[in-house]
Amino acid sequence: MAQYTQLGLQDAASPLMEELLHFHDHALMIITLISAFVLYIILTMVTAKTTDKYILDSQEVEIIWTVLPAIILVLIALPSLRILYLLDEINDPHLTIKAMGHQWYWSYEYTDYEDLGFDSYMVPTQDLTPGQFRLLEADHRMVIPVESPIRVLVSAEDVLHSWAVPSLGVKMDAVPGRLNQVAFVASRPGVFFGQCSEICGANHSFMPIVVEAVPLEHFENWSSLMLEDA
Amino acid sequence: MLRFTAGRVGSLLTRRATAALTTSSARMASHGPGTETSPVDVSQPMYIDRADIPLPDRPYKDVLTEVERSLKEKEKGPWGQLSKEEKIALYRITFCQTYPEMNQKSEEWKTVLGGIFIFLGFSGLLVWWQKVYVCPPRPRTFDEDWQAQQLQRMLDMRVGPVHGLSSHWDYEKGQWK
Repeated sequence: MAQYTQLGLQDAASPLMEELLHFHDHALMIITLISAFVLYIILTMVTAKTTDKYILDSQEVEIIWTVLPAIILVLIALPSLRILYLLDEINDPHLTIKAMGHQWYWSYEYTDYEDLGFDSYMVPTQDLTPGQFRLLEADHRMVIPVESPIRVLVSAEDVLHSWAVPSLGVKMDAVPGRLNQVAFVASRPGVFFGQCSEICGANHSFMPIVVEAVPLEHFENWSSLMLEDA
Repeated sequence: MLRFTAGRVGSLLTRRATAALTTSSARMASHGPGTETSPVDVSQPMYIDRADIPLPDRPYKDVLTEVERSLKEKEKGPWGQLSKEEKIALYRITFCQTYPEMNQKSEEWKTVLGGIFIFLGFSGLLVWWQKVYVCPPRPRTFDEDWQAQQLQRMLDMRVGPVHGLSSHWDYEKGQWK
């Protein structure tokens, strides 16, 4: 989850998010260096005591400031495209879950083996137990087995929503009448939080997503318990 | 309606183009043959105090008093015979300000900074009023003990174990690293 004054990305919980993190660091370093350089040039020009009023052109510097940015752009584009194609890799998911967006909650359906479905509402602030996270906790979490490829089919029952979990590197729009597929692997156990990422009405900010990655036996126990309760 | 206007503009333009290309009368002499003139500089000579224009196009004073005119005559002779005050007077005839006068700093920054602080202060008052009369009460999750329990829970859940929160906590010793 994100902390109060956090500026950067959250720690990755899936291999794809790790790639995105490294690419973000790479691109940010490049733009920081360019910005520092430009700021230095601006300060040098502003504090200079003399002016050359008769400059007409300069072929050399024009060539440099055309070729160098082109090279830098290529250095940014290559890792970017690599990750773009990585996201679309063919995977073999062990589990398929349907995440349906409603106004204003998510519902999850695990229909691979049995018919398991439940709603996930945000826990209101007045019902929180001490230590729980305001606006992030949900009454039912989407439990998944750790280190297993998961496929989530995202859709919506009424208006546009978006299913997002930043630490897993996942965001997929929930469009009514459309099935969007996203796949990921949770590389470590834990609880990962996300929030609805497409404006969907009054309580758009109050329909969080909570994914809990647990070892397989725990997942099996949980799903049996949920089926009994249903 | 746009099509209608476009048609009108189109026909107007065609008429003007045909007129410009074919007529040679004084009325339609915008770009036709026989209208080329050599470029002439019609700017007036101007005096300006600028650091990068050391010698402006004309001297500062064009209308000279008697004293100044006699000084100008004396300038035609050897300059060693001019006194310091005369040299300064001659300078002031040709130039309005000296370089140090031109480049001198002003106190404008104090006004600007003062204005900025006034507006910032006023905005601060507005924010304060908003906090008192508009904003709802702070949620109980911001209380000291709630924050402490929340932090403990985050550490128990191993939130941010790589570079984030939990990576700074020493689980064996039970203290921050």
